[in-house]
Amino acid sequence: MRKLGFMVAATAMLMTVGTAAIGQADEPKNGGTLVIGTTQKARHLNPAVQSGIATAMPGTQIFATPLRFNDKWEAQPYLAESWSVSDDGKSITLKLRENAKFHDGKPITSEDVAFSLQTVKENHPFKSMFAPVTGVDTPDPLTAVINFDKPHPAAFLAMSSALLPIIPKHVYGDGQDPKSHPANNAPVGSGPFKFVEFKPGEYIILEKNPDYFIEGRPYLDRIIIKNYKDPTSVALAMDTEEINMYPFLAPTKDIARLKKNDKLVVTDRGYEAVGPINWLAFNTQNEYLKDKKVRQAIAYAMDRDFVINALLAGQSKAATGPIVPGSPFYADNAEKYDVDLDKANAMLDEAGFARGDGDMRFKLTIDYIPGSAELQKGVAEYLKSQLKKVGIDVELRASPDFPTWAKRVGGHDFDMSMDIVFNWGDPVIGVHRTYLCDNIKKGVIWSNTQSYCNEEVDKLLNEAGSELNQEKRIALYKEAQEIIVDDAPLVYINVLPYHTAYNKQIGNPPLTIWGAMSPLDEVYIK
Amino acid sequence: MRMTFMVARRLLHAFLLILAVLVLNFLLIHLAPGDPADVIAGEMGGATEEMLADIRKNYGLDKPVYVQLGLYLGRALQGDLGQSFFYNAPVLDLVAGRAGATILLVTTALLFAILVGTLLGVLASHKPKGIVSGLVTLISVIGYSAPIFWTGMMLVILFAWVYPIFPIANMYDITKGGGIFSRMIDILYHLVLPAVTLGIVYLAQYARLTRASMLEILGSDYIRTARAKGVAEIKVYGHHALRNAILPVVTIAGLQFGSIISGAVLVETVFSWPGLGTLAFDAILARDYPTILGILFFSSVLVIVANLITDFIYRLVDPRIRKEG
Amino acid sequence: MAAVDNNIQIVQSQSPLREAVRAFRQSWAGMLGILILTLVILFTFAGPLVYPVDPFEIVWAPLTPPGVAEQAPLGTDYLGRDILAGLVHGGSATLYVGLVAGFITITIGILVGAFAGFYRGFVDEFLMRVTEFFQVLPALLFAMVLVTLFSPTIYVIALAIGIVSWPTTARLTRAEFLRIRSLEYVNAARSIGARNQRIIWRVILPNALAPLIVAATLTIGIAILFEAGLSFLGLGDPNVFSWGLMIGAGREYILDGWWVVTLPGFMIFLTVLGFSLVGDGLNDAFNPKLRER
Repeated sequence: MRKLGFMVAATAMLMTVGTAAIGQADEPKNGGTLVIGTTQKARHLNPAVQSGIATAMPGTQIFATPLRFNDKWEAQPYLAESWSVSDDGKSITLKLRENAKFHDGKPITSEDVAFSLQTVKENHPFKSMFAPVTGVDTPDPLTAVINFDKPHPAAFLAMSSALLPIIPKHVYGDGQDPKSHPANNAPVGSGPFKFVEFKPGEYIILEKNPDYFIEGRPYLDRIIIKNYKDPTSVALAMDTEEINMYPFLAPTKDIARLKKNDKLVVTDRGYEAVGPINWLAFNTQNEYLKDKKVRQAIAYAMDRDFVINALLAGQSKAATGPIVPGSPFYADNAEKYDVDLDKANAMLDEAGFARGDGDMRFKLTIDYIPGSAELQKGVAEYLKSQLKKVGIDVELRASPDFPTWAKRVGGHDFDMSMDIVFNWGDPVIGVHRTYLCDNIKKGVIWSNTQSYCNEEVDKLLNEAGSELNQEKRIALYKEAQEIIVDDAPLVYINVLPYHTAYNKQIGNPPLTIWGAMSPLDEVYIK
Repeated sequence: MRMTFMVARRLLHAFLLILAVLVLNFLLIHLAPGDPADVIAGEMGGATEEMLADIRKNYGLDKPVYVQLGLYLGRALQGDLGQSFFYNAPVLDLVAGRAGATILLVTTALLFAILVGTLLGVLASHKPKGIVSGLVTLISVIGYSAPIFWTGMMLVILFAWVYPIFPIANMYDITKGGGIFSRMIDILYHLVLPAVTLGIVYLAQYARLTRASMLEILGSDYIRTARAKGVAEIKVYGHHALRNAILPVVTIAGLQFGSIISGAVLVETVFSWPGLGTLAFDAILARDYPTILGILFFSSVLVIVANLITDFIYRLVDPRIRKEG
Repeated sequence: MAAVDNNIQIVQSQSPLREAVRAFRQSWAGMLGILILTLVILFTFAGPLVYPVDPFEIVWAPLTPPGVAEQAPLGTDYLGRDILAGLVHGGSATLYVGLVAGFITITIGILVGAFAGFYRGFVDEFLMRVTEFFQVLPALLFAMVLVTLFSPTIYVIALAIGIVSWPTTARLTRAEFLRIRSLEYVNAARSIGARNQRIIWRVILPNALAPLIVAATLTIGIAILFEAGLSFLGLGDPNVFSWGLMIGAGREYILDGWWVVTLPGFMIFLTVLGFSLVGDGLNDAFNPKLRER
């Protein structure tokens, strides 16, 4: 029998495996409060209509999803106790748990699943998650059949974490706009923790759901998510034990500092699905950057090792292609663009851009996301000095705030820009959007803002998106990646150094592929 | 009768000022370059033409400007300051949720500055060349010339690393249980550094003011007479001189309310005090215009109210002014 | 006409000016202020010639403390940029914003105050209502709103600071005008038929200058504090290296490196101190009566 990846494993058989506990032999204890520190401020708590870490962390505690994933990219039962895929791959049947109830006591039915999927499809910014869904049949209250117009393997990851929260139809079905629904600030879900209090920009308090559908869980009595103004303050709060967990920790100085504290564990596990890549994006419509040779020359001019080891203190992994290492679809085949200034200079000469005034060939601007000094501004400033060596005069263009940057880059008003883009589990969700020709959407940030278009890549990605056979899918992505990296619409720099710091008192820390964006029903305080 | 008339006049005046602030708010958002719909869309992470049209409709941006102004004033006077672009909440709720913390910080700082400031001023007036006088000069030098957030940061460095006695961030420890009483103690404990930082600026001014008026009063005939009559020195200071010296301090303090709120914005940001200042800071990062303008409006109302109160107190305390309109 | 002006100038200004300069020289505050300002200006304008390191350039490991690396005698910031280079190059922008904003403040203030105090009646009523309105708006919040709405460039910042700070100057000017307009020499000028504009700018204003100069000096200091505050809140001009920008960028790192904010903050402190001491000195010089305080 062929080796099966997680997708195939999921499609081929009915699964009724219990959730694999990650962690040691310690017996979990009931009680205690988990205090999570973060700089991310939640706009509201309903992940059905809002992407992002800030809403996902509380959202995954409050709302349960049909599936969840372990640390090996394997789908696990959650609200759905089992599932099956039709032979043509065009429908997925979910069998829901019998005892699952919302926090207000009403039972969860297939109607809620159909309603939630419809809400997410219409309102969530990740349009590709459920784009092929044609409808959901509800033959009985515990069976939901999701129909697609083509096979859609990405649906499995899209049914986990914060991506398909099952929201109560009896609350959200009242005709109000789900994006601004009052219940988003005090939601009723079915997850391991119930909503208690939300003070915007200050804290979120959740408490144990005593009627949780998984017997004996959660262990914790309460979860408090506290907002801090900057990473230093969170790190300090970690030192003083004001908080006991700090997920999405990224500044390398704070990682290094917290690693020295022997009461803490600092790990980079739990970010495999998020797959955050720091890259340099080109506007391929620019008069110089439309030339592939120029783009490749810039890629050769950047010393990735220097960025990672000197600027980022060695706390980060290299990114060399559209898919992060750690994903089942990652492949090691494409050009790495190891630094070679002579080659870069030669390529620019070849492209016909001789050195002129002040020994410079031409001028370009570079934008960067404000507020992320180390990863964005720091690398942009490094590129300015590095590209000077190959005769490209780079001017930094600062944005006072995120919306300004988003408007520039989304509006294609840029030459080059630093950017951070997440893989979001399945490539269909987080990777395709950057490269498909039909996703060149002026005004939309994190679409194909590079205006990159290669029909061959389009064909390969679309094929991979509806390929149920995991091995074939991997091969298709491998092929696409090679072409994309050679075309160089982007220079891949590094995977964000996301780490989770947690107190050693914490048992079963969230180390699955979705990390802290998954239900913390197994976490306990020793 | 005259008093009632005066009160009515003052209140009408205050109402007109509030109305003017609202009109200014409205003009600001419409005079700013760029389409407000674009701004909202930018915050949402970009949008297509279709979505822009939707936003314009939702926020009423498709109507003529004077209609929008009318609607805006009507809503604002009913307490509806619009919907935050960032949070899924009405601006009024956000502002109301944070106003208490700012008012607590500002009034504590003011009380601290008035009490300690007058005390230092009195002591300094006793010995114009003494240590206290020197101290007052030193504090006023720092208070006038050091950026207030810098003073705060110096205190943070001092109390974070050198003497970790007082908390350097937040208003209370949410993880701590206990009743209302222990929460109040916790808040006071957290209040020390921000209130002192904010108070120092004004403390020095009030000390100087008190010293000046004390010196003037102490040199007056009527104090000389009191002394000649053998009134005890402590009574001369406390009963006769101080009463006259504290009046200008209270007046100035009332009029400075606006500038103190400005200082509070910076101090709150330094100490993560969850008041209007930190809300404004976050709102600016997110370009959340309705919230920024709501804060500007609300704090202007605070200033107007503070001025009214000062005005009334002054009239009650000092009968000479009552005659004037 | 000209004769009248000359007379007034001779009578009103010559000997008091000489007296004021003498008094200023005797004021320790004023002289100390001049000394500090001279040093700051030397540091800011001669410094870049002596120490021509680019403040944007990354020279050493991030957050290196002072006295460790030769390349960065006063340490480096969070990106590894030289703090000393920042201090040396950051002053001119700070001073520039302070001066321009101070100028705008004083100009608006004098215009409003002069007209209100001179014409009185309806004009006064109207202008004072406007002034009061501007005093009700918390200045920093108002400036934050203006800078946010109209993008943070140094011109917008200077203008915003001017727009929010003029009322104090206006009130002062008005009070001076109210006092002087009824004095004899004004009546004299009016009786020989001098026009209002001439009386305002040529007769009254020169006689109201003393307190206005003091106010202007203090205003520059306050404007510098304002710019620093806006920069601290992240509303500084990101393309111009200023002390305020250094503080704004270093804000997150105070617990990792005290020098990152302490040093530029100290420079701002010194500069503002210089202006306020000079203001004190001028005040002493122009108001001999108060010198005893």
